[in-house]
Amino acid sequence: AAAEPWPENAELYQQLKEEQILLSDNASSLAVQAFLKMCNLPIRVVCRANAEYMSPSGKVPFIHVGNQVVSELGPIVQFVKAKGHSLSDGLDEVQKAEMKAYMELVNNMLLTAELYLQWCDDVTVEEITHPRYGSPYPWPLNRILSYQKQWEVRRKMKAIGWAGKTLEQVLEDVDQCCQALSQRLGTQPYFFNKQPTELDALVFGHLFTILTTQLITDELSEKVKNYSNLTAFCRRIEQQYFGGHDKDSSAAGAARSAKRSLLR
Amino acid sequence: QSLEPLPMGGPDFGALGEEAELVEVEPEAKQEILENKDVVVQHVHFDGLGRTKDDIIMYEIADVFKAKNLIDVMRKSHEAREKLLRLGIFRQVEVLIDTCQGDDALPNGLDVTFEVMELRRLTGSYNTMVGNNEGSMVLGLKFPNLFGRAEKVTFQFSYGTKETSYGLSFFKPQPGNFERNFSVNLYKVTGQFPWSSLRETDRGISTELNFPMWKTNHTLKWEGVWRELGCLARTASFSVREESGHSLKSSLSHAMVIDSRNSSILPRRGALLKINQELAGYTGGDVSFLKEDFEFQLNKQLLWDSVFSASVWGGMLVPIGDKPSSIADRQVFKRFYLGGPTSVRGFSMYSIGPQSEGDYLGGEAYWAGGLHLYTPLPFRPGRGGFGDLFRTHFFLNAGNLCNLNYGDGPRAHLQKLAEYIRWSYGAGIVLRLGNIARLELNYCFPMGVQSGDRICDGVQFGAGIRFL
Repeated sequence: AAAEPWPENAELYQQLKEEQILLSDNASSLAVQAFLKMCNLPIRVVCRANAEYMSPSGKVPFIHVGNQVVSELGPIVQFVKAKGHSLSDGLDEVQKAEMKAYMELVNNMLLTAELYLQWCDDVTVEEITHPRYGSPYPWPLNRILSYQKQWEVRRKMKAIGWAGKTLEQVLEDVDQCCQALSQRLGTQPYFFNKQPTELDALVFGHLFTILTTQLITDELSEKVKNYSNLTAFCRRIEQQYFGGHDKDSSAAGAARSAKRSLLR
Repeated sequence: QSLEPLPMGGPDFGALGEEAELVEVEPEAKQEILENKDVVVQHVHFDGLGRTKDDIIMYEIADVFKAKNLIDVMRKSHEAREKLLRLGIFRQVEVLIDTCQGDDALPNGLDVTFEVMELRRLTGSYNTMVGNNEGSMVLGLKFPNLFGRAEKVTFQFSYGTKETSYGLSFFKPQPGNFERNFSVNLYKVTGQFPWSSLRETDRGISTELNFPMWKTNHTLKWEGVWRELGCLARTASFSVREESGHSLKSSLSHAMVIDSRNSSILPRRGALLKINQELAGYTGGDVSFLKEDFEFQLNKQLLWDSVFSASVWGGMLVPIGDKPSSIADRQVFKRFYLGGPTSVRGFSMYSIGPQSEGDYLGGEAYWAGGLHLYTPLPFRPGRGGFGDLFRTHFFLNAGNLCNLNYGDGPRAHLQKLAEYIRWSYGAGIVLRLGNIARLELNYCFPMGVQSGDRICDGVQFGAGIRFL
């Protein structure tokens, strides 16, 4: 299966764009889409309400390539590498370790902060998360699934010690993470100078989604906007890899629709 | 089919069937005199009633008062005893008939006394159950006769080879009319289906009303089920993976049963007709369909203790409407499956019909038929005892399963079901386990095999309660 070339009909599965998908899942999905575009591999985005349950690891997005199913950015990068495409081949060992470290930072800080905001901030949970998460399901299933997921996320937060944090502390963590990323990026076009890597895809996925998703307040996106090189970075990647194609596959289109439906 | 919740309601007193016999009075020299003698039942006493309320007892014994002669009294008392036991509230019932004593005694007056022992308030049970090709251990806690009118609350936990379940059920019969009853059940069932690489967890609540009407028995049921599907292995086909997730089914169903057989396990005579329909989607939930299925069986005794049996099964599942929801492209229905030692023999369990990468997806319409000839074992070993539990049988099974394209008309559907018929023939030995289950060991020749079906030609073993 590793030897087979990348087919034309590869698909990426995520939740429904307009009504259902949440900030964190949208960010993860956009990161994978950006990565595949950077590798120049065609992918078609398919929206299913049960994408989360279809995934072998329970996390979106996942790709269906040939008869393989792979979920999450890390395994997808490995899978794509086995097929002979890689963005980080040009890096030396030190740089690869650095790249991994920054990817861990994004996952541990940004992604966790997104999850915290979605599931542990009561106002956001009530106004945005619950209605969106349960939207494809009839009553009372929508409530049951939302509460089940919330309980699960809160338990995980407790396990990693985030349960005691306040929203201000979480936003501070986001700020620190953005600062580290901004410093590493500097004035370069990409994190490792000329060529984009999976780190760029991951950072783009999260930052762009944060910038373009409307939540209860703008505090989260303001933290990112403080760093102008990060916003320029997002704009650059959007124009280069997502702009000019049909509206549906453009990142802005994806995030915009999420934003539209959040207006209350 | 195997995920029907374990039967919880209803009388758990064993089927009266073949075991019960009418008490016959030994013919005596004085029989004529006794029969001609008119008697009057003056009193009916009850010893041992505790929490049982009087009114339900009155219904069951009302007939005893109408007896006119001694034989009649004995017969009616026996029937009353059977009725009292059937309520499921007494551990034992004994009947004493004596002449009436006391001041107001008539010369031909009789006293009938029922000595009963009520069941304890809480009983526990442990048994093993046999389903179709599965076995399970069942632990039960029962509160019989909860409020004095034969109500019953049961909690059951079952751990089996294919599924694990637990449930709580409340059962209440109508006083005087035990066959009319209703029950409310809450259950959770988790099952694994390797032939589809599917794992299913159902959590549900159902209310059910049973009532007889003339010679038929009807059941009306409303059921709400939260179903969760998942893949059993990473190698599950994508079609099965697409079905993973949650759905909510709210359905109304009606079943009608006419059963004139003398036994449900290895009947010698009689017929069975079962018709079942289920309508989902109009009372909530996100699953909409209309499902019809039927089962027909006819048994006829022939010469030399052999029995000829014919059975036909069929069913159809029609999804309804275009629900304007974003998950309209999912179809999480309870489809029909075909094949296996209890269905079309000679094929592997549920391994006929549409499949994807080795996972069997079931179908929306099916039919199956079987012809059997049961004979006693050759040379009749162990006759009169153990050998009577075994029978040899010769069978011919056939069936087909497919998905329907609802754009075409009914004629196209019939045509689809008529082409590529799978069938098999063979012979084997059947063992009857009491009135509970049946074991079969057959040698099968599957025919009409289509690509994708999995067969089990040669020796096949089956255990269960419902066979084609």
